[in-house]
Amino acid sequence: MPEWPRHLNQEMRQHLDDEYAALRAGGATDAEAMRALAGDLDEVGAPSPVADVAGDVRYALRSLRTHPGFTAVVLATLALGIGANAAIFSVVNAVLLRPLPYEGADRIAVIWGDLHRPGVNRIPASAGEYADYRDRSHAFEHLAAYDTAGFNLTGAGEPEELDGAVVTASLFPLFGATPEVGRAFTAAEEQAGRNDVALLSHSLWTRRFNASRNVIGQVVAIDGRPTEIVGVMPASFEFPDPAVDIWKPLLLDAEALSSDNRGSHGYTALARMRPGVTLVQAQADLAGVTATFKTEYPGNYRTGFTATLRPLQEEIVGDTARPLFILLGAVGLVLLIACANVSNLLLARAASRRKEIALRTALGASRGRLVRQLMTESVLIALAGGVLGLVVASWSMDLLIGLAPDTIPRLREVTLDRRVVGFTALVSVATGALFGIVPALRASGAALNEVLKDGGRRGESAMHRRAGRLLVVSEVALSLVLLIGAGLLVHSFARVQNVEPGFDARGMLTLRLALPESRYTTFEQGDRFFDALFAAQRARPGVEAVAAANALPFSGVGGSRTFHIEGREPKRPEDQPEEQLRIVTDGYFQTMRIPVVKGREFTDRDRLSAPRVAVVNEALARKHWPGETPVGRRVAFSRDEPHWYEIVGVVANIKHRGLDAADRPELYVPYRQPLFSNWTVRPMQVVVRTAGDPLIAASTVRQDVARVDAEQPISDVRTMDDRIGRSLAARRFNMVLLAVFASLALTLAGIGIYGIVAYAVTERTHEIGVRLALGAQRRDVMAMIVAQGMAMAAAGAAVGVVSALLLTRVMTSLLFGVSAADPITFAAIPLLLAAVAFVACYVPARRATRVDPLAALRTE
Amino acid sequence: MLDRELKKGSAELLILSLVEDQPRHGYDLSKLIEARSGGVLTFRVASLYPLLYRLEKRGWIQGRWIEKAGQRRRRYYRLTPSGARVLASQRSTWREFAEAISRIAGVEHA
Repeated sequence: MPEWPRHLNQEMRQHLDDEYAALRAGGATDAEAMRALAGDLDEVGAPSPVADVAGDVRYALRSLRTHPGFTAVVLATLALGIGANAAIFSVVNAVLLRPLPYEGADRIAVIWGDLHRPGVNRIPASAGEYADYRDRSHAFEHLAAYDTAGFNLTGAGEPEELDGAVVTASLFPLFGATPEVGRAFTAAEEQAGRNDVALLSHSLWTRRFNASRNVIGQVVAIDGRPTEIVGVMPASFEFPDPAVDIWKPLLLDAEALSSDNRGSHGYTALARMRPGVTLVQAQADLAGVTATFKTEYPGNYRTGFTATLRPLQEEIVGDTARPLFILLGAVGLVLLIACANVSNLLLARAASRRKEIALRTALGASRGRLVRQLMTESVLIALAGGVLGLVVASWSMDLLIGLAPDTIPRLREVTLDRRVVGFTALVSVATGALFGIVPALRASGAALNEVLKDGGRRGESAMHRRAGRLLVVSEVALSLVLLIGAGLLVHSFARVQNVEPGFDARGMLTLRLALPESRYTTFEQGDRFFDALFAAQRARPGVEAVAAANALPFSGVGGSRTFHIEGREPKRPEDQPEEQLRIVTDGYFQTMRIPVVKGREFTDRDRLSAPRVAVVNEALARKHWPGETPVGRRVAFSRDEPHWYEIVGVVANIKHRGLDAADRPELYVPYRQPLFSNWTVRPMQVVVRTAGDPLIAASTVRQDVARVDAEQPISDVRTMDDRIGRSLAARRFNMVLLAVFASLALTLAGIGIYGIVAYAVTERTHEIGVRLALGAQRRDVMAMIVAQGMAMAAAGAAVGVVSALLLTRVMTSLLFGVSAADPITFAAIPLLLAAVAFVACYVPARRATRVDPLAALRTE
Repeated sequence: MLDRELKKGSAELLILSLVEDQPRHGYDLSKLIEARSGGVLTFRVASLYPLLYRLEKRGWIQGRWIEKAGQRRRRYYRLTPSGARVLASQRSTWREFAEAISRIAGVEHA
């Protein structure tokens, strides 16, 4: 067979096109023209289209250019579908997939104390435990410990409260990090008296010290103590979190390591495994270490205490994985729906391309060849959609990150990197193949004979209708799954928002005050500070009340403590009660408007000179004194020299961690009756109840603090409403995104239904004309068309409801107050879908009723 | 309709003469042949274009894609100098041939 140049094929196609046009212009029907052309082609045999992908691509490009409307609709659909996927994937990539930015990050793990029960399986390490892990294990290259801390930086300029961390000297080599300027800590600086050294973050260095190298050796006041700056870490080092501005050495002196402090679990222990050591081996190594604890420190450990290693990546990513994967699944479904729509468009277009395809077949193109050509076109348009999708993704990325809650780690690392681009390319090709394959097989299967027999109309359209209906049914099913998922989240969100926090959050300003122990060495000094501040605040117009607590609700802090109940001695140490402990000023419950259910709240008479008192919430009362009143009972926090606190009141439960959290038992003690004799005023959170806008009060608080102590910074100034809003941010993020994707899906499904019904109406113009001519009522015609569309929607909805019942189970952990099979959602969402489907059917159906019977009959 | 062999032999001459005055594209050529022969001569797609290709390969005609205002891009063929020489020699051969036929068969020469 001779090798024909490519231009020959093209010339022949043009020739046939011209001939067809001329024949039609001369009055021939489509069928006659096709027959004439087929006769003209009888002797074709020789030319075989050159098997050449470049040619396919050129041909595809030309074909897309000649149908700009079609191409635009398809591109827009794909850009949205692929763009949404690229955007969510870029988040998944940055948060979950990309390794942490440390060398050999997969060998770094966190060591948790573990009692193998919920709530006590992630116990931080005490200094002594850390030292034992470090000295007695063999599986690790480095071990380190740290704790986050707030530091007051004073002296040069405005006092500032900075986020920081106390770390062992080994933390930096563990991460393979070295200072950009100066040096890191030495092990000797873990001793008291030598620990007044600090490392600065790159951002603090540039912001406050003009990035001057002379900063090394400079002495600044940190928490009122003169501290020497020994180094600056590079911008890339942000451990334990990006907010950290100062590192100081963690104290590991004799006192910290004493058995008295054995139970003071305040540090996070990290370990870098030696190369080749597996997590299981390292775990076994640690088990050998913890086995000695029980015998060496009998009073400190409950039975079953071991150490558990969790990879750092898992630790950082934590609970964000599931919602992100659910979102990724959701955008995947949106893309599938987009594919179905594009497929349907291609099927409809295949009908108008049948002449071209028939001619190519006639010119010797095999079916495989045609499928390849058509698939080239699909993949090409999908790739173009992918490029636009990346643009959509880069636009929506900022929006996405802005909407994302702070609880999603590593968000600042979200970029369109090579992996995202690769993923998008892969998704695009797969998308193109997916939406292209059915139309390509259908179109190429339409043999020339069939096309010529009746102008192609009947056979082609029947196939189109069958495939098209199937596509629409699956679209409806997919979008219903998404809608129900979104519906469940919306319903949950409404439920959560309706939860009463148990206090009146309106008009409240909150802020944090950390008095440095170096200047406020005694409790009385701190107490005087708060007295003066509160007095100044109460004198301000618009301030209704002011109080403070060591841990306000929705502040993210707050811890538990073991205590003793008078007259009840637990047989085993692990049976000792342990509950949330809050240390509050007098007037706290009144300021927060937490109802006192029984007894009284704290007053300014509850001082050290007076008998010690405590208040419990209803949950604690119910748990420890079921069926009786706790008022008059006494508790203590130390067995050796018990100070008994008499319970004088019971208050209502409040939400502390979040609106969706269960009520926890809480024990309150007055801050003027500290648990231990050498107590100083710990960091406190102040709450001001104002008559007007609480943020306006912020400046007056600042002034009053400065008047009492000009060196004292305040931080974390927020309204309580803002705090509650933030606690809902993760839930809102998931809900908004899923709702957006579901609406997109619903729109696409609606367009899909509209498309197929409108096509059917066009196809059946003649039939409708006959019916009308025979006396059918227009209403009947409309009902018939709508019924057919709605039947498709109903079939899709049925499949969708069943799929949703199976799929929404993965969302159970994201729901609140609704079950994964929530009847309201499962009833309401199909109704919504039905409404959209009805509109999508009604519009083309109305057009059907306007058919002029005579005109319709003439067209055949 | 002419015998197939005869048509094939004359086809080269027809095409070369039609592109002698001005470049023409394939569809134009087929329409001209059909029209000027009064429908007696027609070329099928499958024979016309391969023929054009053979003529071009021999260097007698040369094709070029040309886009004219308001029209689609088409491949126009023009006569090359060597094509002109071939045309001249074929013309005289055909003239002699046709005269011989008419002398013998008494066919009136047009």
